[in-house]
Amino acid sequence: MLSEEQRNDVLIVRVDEKRVDASRAPLFKDEMTRRIEAGHTRLVLDLSGVEFVDSSGLGAIVACLKRLGPRGDLAIAGAKGPVSRLFTLTRMDKVFRLHDTVEAAVAQMSS
Amino acid sequence: MSVGMRLHIDSDFDKVALLARAVRALCAELLDAEAADAVEISLVEAVNNVIEHGYEGKPGRDVGVEVSVHPDRIVIEVVDQAAPMKSGALSEAASEIVFDETNIDSLPEGGMGLALIRMSMDEVEYCAAPGENRLRMVKRIPAPAG
Repeated sequence: MLSEEQRNDVLIVRVDEKRVDASRAPLFKDEMTRRIEAGHTRLVLDLSGVEFVDSSGLGAIVACLKRLGPRGDLAIAGAKGPVSRLFTLTRMDKVFRLHDTVEAAVAQMSS
Repeated sequence: MSVGMRLHIDSDFDKVALLARAVRALCAELLDAEAADAVEISLVEAVNNVIEHGYEGKPGRDVGVEVSVHPDRIVIEVVDQAAPMKSGALSEAASEIVFDETNIDSLPEGGMGLALIRMSMDEVEYCAAPGENRLRMVKRIPAPAG
């Protein structure tokens, strides 16, 4: 469900599913956790291909942030429409930095 | 005058997207994208709650969704035969999600469903009758401009 690309010390993880809901959240969390445990600390989560996230999907993203710990960095790129609104509605836009594009997220993380 | 549909799924998270697509299709002509998104997230959160908490994640139980479309509103009822939510769960659910964003460990990973429903719909009511629970959610259809 995820594909990845390494750019310098930033790992870009793209979600290849249209929906990150209760049926997919556990697998999403496992696959992200595996990458975090492999030592990646700076991640950009590319949600540009995702059309819908529910609170289980959002909870899984929050769990990844906790797993990263205070030295890690997790930014969100490409969240649109209902996905972006879910971050706003739950106030998680105060926790995660939301960027329109992967490039903008990587640039900010590298600066 | 109203039109409606009734849908049923097995209590399986894999089937919730099917319900969401069907209800979304019914709303498409009546609501703008933002309002249709609000209906979709509310429906999904309500059905997820039934499966996760009502039926404790067990498959093979029935979750019903009844949708009726009126000239001024869409009414969506999620019907289950699980143990009811505890009395007051809906009214006690915060109508906004509150946390300390500077304390990562305190951030919620769940328990946001009812609050999301309350924020997204115009009316929400829960009725637990013997043998059947109903969560009734209403989204108003804006009057045509002019």
